[in-house]
Amino acid sequence: MLKNNPASPRRTIFLVGLFVMAIVASGCGVRFDMQDQPRYKAYKKSDFFADGRASRDMVEGTVARGLLKEDKAFYTGKIDNPDPNAQAQSSTDASGNTVVTSFPNAIDEFPIPVTKELIDRGEERYKINCIVCHGPVGAGDGMIVRRGFVRPPSYHDDRLRNAPVGHFFDVISNGWGRMTGQKAMIPVADRWAIVAYIRTLQASQNPEQIMRMNSGAQPAATVTPAPAASPAGRPNGGAN
Amino acid sequence: MAQFFPKSANNVAKITMILGVVLAVTAFYAYTQLARSSYLTGRYVEKQQPVQFSHKHHTGDDGIDCRYCHTTVETTASAGMPSTETCMTCHSQIWSDSPYLEPVRASYRDNTPIEWERVHDLPEYTYFNHSIHIAKGIGCSTCHGEIDNMPSVYQENTLQMEWCLSCHREPEKFIRPKSEIYNMRWKDSDLSTEARVQLKQEYKIRSRDMLTSCSVCHR
Ligand code: HEC
Ligand code: HEC
Ligand code: HEC
Ligand code: HEC
Ligand code: HEC
Ligand code: HEC
Repeated sequence: MLKNNPASPRRTIFLVGLFVMAIVASGCGVRFDMQDQPRYKAYKKSDFFADGRASRDMVEGTVARGLLKEDKAFYTGKIDNPDPNAQAQSSTDASGNTVVTSFPNAIDEFPIPVTKELIDRGEERYKINCIVCHGPVGAGDGMIVRRGFVRPPSYHDDRLRNAPVGHFFDVISNGWGRMTGQKAMIPVADRWAIVAYIRTLQASQNPEQIMRMNSGAQPAATVTPAPAASPAGRPNGGAN
Repeated sequence: MAQFFPKSANNVAKITMILGVVLAVTAFYAYTQLARSSYLTGRYVEKQQPVQFSHKHHTGDDGIDCRYCHTTVETTASAGMPSTETCMTCHSQIWSDSPYLEPVRASYRDNTPIEWERVHDLPEYTYFNHSIHIAKGIGCSTCHGEIDNMPSVYQENTLQMEWCLSCHREPEKFIRPKSEIYNMRWKDSDLSTEARVQLKQEYKIRSRDMLTSCSVCHR
């Protein structure tokens, strides 16, 4: 049999100790200062800056070391036209809209070498950023257009076939009409890759151009080096 | 039972002591279950967002690529959240007077960011990086589930350390070809075990010891 002892001081101390430990332990449970440390991670909210964003924009005019955008052609797709009075020409299309038909400052040579890797990269990026509106071959029949977005022009009309590469670069960067610019979403080199891929698409939809390319008679004004890498992956394109 | 209990112990004492052990085991088990429960890990919990943005509409129905909005997922630690300009590439024209989109338009007008509620939130004493996982053939759906079926994003996995480790111990169980990273319907059984081990070598994934070293994630 167990005999009941009168309450001993030891037991009281033990119980009080247990009580204190329980409080301490529960205190630990609600401390989150390791979970949420007083430092900034991407997209974290800041109480310090007025707009609440911890991720700051660069102060305007800042140039990071090695990132001076000297190469105007590469960064803007444009050069200073030797003829300062050159004006963009426009015409009116069937539905009465004004369409710009000449791009005096836009460059017509890729500022970087056009390689198979560049075109492959361009294909990947086109499928991420453009296909939703412009459709798989650039006919302007993407999913978002089917959901009600304005229909973009096909890449395969003469105006855009003849447009210089610099124009495409400019459209991606700064937008055009109802298409908004995507500079913030697409890095510069990727924009050129997309342009190279668009040139490939244009060639792929234009058997005449492929034939001209193969016969070696390239009118310099319309054909840029991009399609030289045959879109069909065959050295003789689709000529025979 | 005589070995454990002296003859003098009566049944009440015996039962209490056995019950005590059973209770302790049950309590421990309950604790482990509670620690892994959605109540404590936030798993499957949907958050009320300032805009009722639906991945099901945008990626499932309209086929927008994840990288249209989460632009930096291949290159940086953070996947990147779309800026209001990104939403406006489309919503400047379509659904441009929908009341559901008013917060987006307000954000665009006033140049203030939209404040999304974080769904996945690791404690800040851990280090996570998207780019390496994408580069080594781990697809979004392995960690995030079928996002393109979620009208409202929820956390598919516990995001506990044991979950990270279950893969860091044997990534060959979850690895996929890089072309399938954005495929939300990919199943691990789509590729044979040998092919996955092969991929692991091809991607030069380091040894189990190196990937489970504490300093990989706690640095
Ligand atoms: C949200 C839909 C949308 C997306 C995404 C989009 N575009 Fe467009 N794009 C349009 C629309 C609409 C037009 C017609 C604009 C107008 O004339 O008002 C257009 C026009 C163009 C034009 C023709 C400009 C001219 O001279 O008429 C080019 C070139 C072009 N887009 C390239 C691209 C490229 C490259 C991408 C991917 C980086 C892209 N677009 C992404 C909707 C889009
Ligand atoms: C049209 C833009 C858009 C596209 C495309 C998109 N997302 Fe999102 N994503 C968002 C926005 C906005 C949020 C924040 C709102 C929310 O959590 O629902 C978000 C949130 C998320 C989150 C939760 C982030 C958090 O708070 O923890 C995950 C995970 C995610 N997206 C994955 C994906 C995946 C995977 C894809 C491709 C299948 C994808 N997203 C495509 C815009 C997009
Ligand atoms: C590439 C084009 C595109 C982009 C980018 C885009 N959306 Fe949408 N959004 C759509 C389309 C198309 C619908 C119609 C959905 C459907 O019915 O399939 C839609 C519908 C919606 C709706 C429901 C509107 C209603 O009245 O039912 C909301 C809310 C919405 N989008 C929010 C956003 C937010 C927030 C972003 C930016 C993170 C965003 N969208 C980016 C194309 C886009
Ligand atoms: C290895 C698992 C894993 C993979 C693969 C993965 N994610 Fe995540 N993702 C996470 C974790 C963990 C977080 C929470 C990060 C944090 O809290 O810092 C997260 C957070 C996010 C967020 C919220 C913003 C951020 O970066 O914190 C988005 C958006 C997102 N993921 C999108 C994607 C997309 C898109 C893909 C596929 C290209 C992807 N994730 C692949 C585990 C993963
Ligand atoms: C489905 C598999 C998978 C899951 C889940 C996963 N990882 Fe990974 N993780 C990998 C693979 C594969 C690598 C690449 C290892 C290599 O390159 O050797 C990696 C690499 C990393 C690296 C970079 C290692 C280095 O030394 O640079 C970090 C950090 C990391 N993971 C953190 C996490 C965290 C934190 C989680 C849980 C939230 C997690 N991972 C969940 C598969 C996974
Ligand atoms: C693959 C990534 C990874 C590795 C490797 C890793 N951890 Fe963790 N650890 C995590 C994550 C993620 C959490 C956050 C878990 C959570 O939120 O519940 C965590 C949490 C913890 C915690 C806090 C647990 C809690 O419940 O508060 C401790 C302690 C810890 N880790 C210790 C270690 C030690 C020791 C090692 C080395 C043996 C290690 N970790 C290796 C990812 C990792």
